[in-house]
Amino acid sequence: MSALFRVQVLAALALVLLLLPGSAWAFTVVDQAGRTLTLPASPRRIVSLVPSVTELLYAIGAQDALVGVTDFCDYPAEARRKPHVGDMISPNLETLVTLKPDLVVATRSGNREEIFDQLTRLGIPVYLVDPITVGDVLRLVSELGQLTGHRDGAVAVEKDLGRRIAAVRERVAGRPHPRVLYVLWPEPLIVPGKGSLVTELIALAGGASVTADQGQGYPRMSLEAAVGRAPEIIILARHGSRVGPAALTQWQRLESLPAIKSGRLYMADGDLMHRYGPRVVVGLESLARMIHPEVFARPEPSK
Amino acid sequence: MTAAARLAWICGGLAILLVAVAMGSLLVGAAPVSPGIVLDVITGRGPAVGTDRTVVLSIRLPRIAAAMLAGGALAVAGAGFQALTRNPLAEPSILGVSAGAAFGVVLAQVSGLGQGVVEALGLTVFGFTGAAVAGLAVYLIASSAAGLPVHTLLLAGVIVGIFFSAAITVLISIVDANRLGGVIHWLLGSVAPIPPSQLAIFALATVAGVWLVLGQARALNLLALGEEGAIELGVDALRVKRRIFMGAALLTGTVVAFVGPIGFVGLIVPQVFRMLLGPDNRILVPAAFLGGGAFLLAADTLARIVVAPAELSVGVLTSFCGAPFFIWLLRSRVARVAP
Amino acid sequence: MTPLAEFRAVSFVYPRGAAGRPPFELRELSFSVAPGEVLGLIGPNAAGKTTVIRLLSRVLSPSRGAIMIGGEPASALGRAAVARRIAVVPQDVPHGFPYTVEQLVLMGRFPHAPARFFESREDLRIAREAMALTGIESLAAEPLEHLSGGERQRVVLARALAQQPRLLVLDEPTAHLDLRYQAECVALLRRLHRDEGLGILLVSHDLNLAAEVSDRLLLLAGGSAVKVGPPEEVLEETVLEAVYGCRVMVDKHPATRRPTVNVLWPDGR
Repeated sequence: MSALFRVQVLAALALVLLLLPGSAWAFTVVDQAGRTLTLPASPRRIVSLVPSVTELLYAIGAQDALVGVTDFCDYPAEARRKPHVGDMISPNLETLVTLKPDLVVATRSGNREEIFDQLTRLGIPVYLVDPITVGDVLRLVSELGQLTGHRDGAVAVEKDLGRRIAAVRERVAGRPHPRVLYVLWPEPLIVPGKGSLVTELIALAGGASVTADQGQGYPRMSLEAAVGRAPEIIILARHGSRVGPAALTQWQRLESLPAIKSGRLYMADGDLMHRYGPRVVVGLESLARMIHPEVFARPEPSK
Repeated sequence: MTAAARLAWICGGLAILLVAVAMGSLLVGAAPVSPGIVLDVITGRGPAVGTDRTVVLSIRLPRIAAAMLAGGALAVAGAGFQALTRNPLAEPSILGVSAGAAFGVVLAQVSGLGQGVVEALGLTVFGFTGAAVAGLAVYLIASSAAGLPVHTLLLAGVIVGIFFSAAITVLISIVDANRLGGVIHWLLGSVAPIPPSQLAIFALATVAGVWLVLGQARALNLLALGEEGAIELGVDALRVKRRIFMGAALLTGTVVAFVGPIGFVGLIVPQVFRMLLGPDNRILVPAAFLGGGAFLLAADTLARIVVAPAELSVGVLTSFCGAPFFIWLLRSRVARVAP
Repeated sequence: MTPLAEFRAVSFVYPRGAAGRPPFELRELSFSVAPGEVLGLIGPNAAGKTTVIRLLSRVLSPSRGAIMIGGEPASALGRAAVARRIAVVPQDVPHGFPYTVEQLVLMGRFPHAPARFFESREDLRIAREAMALTGIESLAAEPLEHLSGGERQRVVLARALAQQPRLLVLDEPTAHLDLRYQAECVALLRRLHRDEGLGILLVSHDLNLAAEVSDRLLLLAGGSAVKVGPPEEVLEETVLEAVYGCRVMVDKHPATRRPTVNVLWPDGR
């Protein structure tokens, strides 16, 4: 073989290698906090400190790249079998490091800032997510797809979510919006305020949240002020098994309240609505059934 | 004017004040309910269903009742304890009972001791149990062959209080973030609407505690002569000490179990009334009950409306009153407040 | 006649002695106070005088022996019953005592109706009488802190009188008083003794005062009775020197002819 021929073969090989998907030599991304990260390659060992992200990674088919999760990452069931690094506030750094991650996904609302600094100092890149709206969730899906190289899976999820959201919107279109009070936490009373995910979900489901004008995120409110806005529907969020029957009986005692009298007091699965994962549409659908039972087949009364 | 007549006048005046504050408190709040509607609801003329009715009868009214009871109970506990220890700085929380009650409730909230158990019994039972354990511990530590020496009682109360406060801190450090907010909210004292059956228990326990203290009011006066001086006049000092301790512990434990720890009421109210009405406990204790109820009710009403639609914890407001009051007390020449 | 108060071989031990020394004791003390008698209880410090008062008023209970009050055993009587028969007059009221004169005197009515919430009209009348007896009616509404030592002395005395006791126990009544008030106190005591027929147990370290006022003296030392009898018998030089450990001369008061004790002050060499 002549020298020229060998060079040509090598050049062709190099070209082929360059064109193979996911084999770029340098990989630059911008996370949702606007920070630019340069990774040597598409991450193959991801630690997720955010339960929503864990769910999304499974949804887009990237679970093989997931090597570590938090104690709260309980969906899907297989996620619980992944190695645990602790809780969201103070994960165990040593355990984390032994997993040899090449990327850690975290969020400012839920994880502590000091952890990001520590990880960066240890040379582990941190990808911050900060979804607030439903639109942010869809964008996150595609970003994670790009990040992990599972673009097809991401696209499929995006399409499915979009379709189901549109379906709900259609069915409640044109209907009157009943006043909804969503109780995130009963004592102290915490409600969804301006710009929070739950507020948006309620609006999409065809309701009008009575607390939509309150402070950013999930502010506190007095019981009297909330009740004084005459909600027609009251939804109590359940967090795992923690907000239990006591909250329910407490609200049921307010018998002279129209919402209670007409039996429109419901329990909702908090995990569906407070996580920025693929199950927000499940949450949306359940909200829609509570708010507009006349349009949907199975209404879900309070248990 | 005889002492009995004086007592009647003072209680009458304070009762009127209390009713006035209660009515005012019923008329204000975060929800917009006009006075006319409030009156309708109270007199039973309003609609049977409606948010206004819920707000007035199920939210404001029970809260007003709880605030009056809690304020009165704490003030009487404070008055009794200050007279017993002959120390104007004594506050019911020094007994260690409130820390015990708080620990009981926080423990129940944090561990969710088998959710069913906690829900079935209610947090108040845990509060009462904690109070009883702490009270018993203080009593056992302080009582000896020589009776129940007052300074040992004080020390024992402080020690038990410190122990349970430390235990609470441990619990707070291990509770997960979700529940932490709820626990801290309770620890600041919150006069949340209490169902009528529980309110009845609250009232009964308060009456029992006030009865225990008031029954010893005359003997308490004699204790100002010193324990020996009182015994020489025929006072059964040990019996008085036991009754006052039990009464103050019952009152304090009850308040903490139902509305959480609220500071300074038990310190400020008896002091103020002692300055205005004199040291005679037979007049001071009833006056403190009515005045304490009015005071805490006013504070709670403020807490409800000052940052509406959100609300402050009533413990925050009473704490704000505490420091300035102390400063004024120290610097005031008028204050001859040694009980 | 039944004595107002009687100690029968009473022994008492304080639960804990001061560092190093054995716990203080009363040893088999026996004495009695007859109705209408003035008995002076004298002796050096830590002789047991205060302990006697505490035992009488039932603040303490004897380890052995019996205390009789008006012929009945003290242990069988309730505290209030004892307080109706015996009134202890302390030296003063505790510092910072917040009540007025009348309120304090009224406290003396407690043992007569401990179950009452407020004092009765009768109680008020008796209290005013007691205040009149000691000459302090004009001070009724004054807080005690505003009064002088002598005035306060008369107030605690009025309180004791309001108890309507048979026996008055005075604990060092002239300890903090200047001469004028000492004299007033003696006059008052004599008047009370004469007009009301009260028995008086006077505890004092002032030997001459005790000698002047008492019908009999009881000399206490180290928890035991050393001598009892009329002042001339008890205040005897050898006895006193043995008990007090210093040299004395006993003379007669120029006016009253009662014994007076004069210390032979050492010259320091």
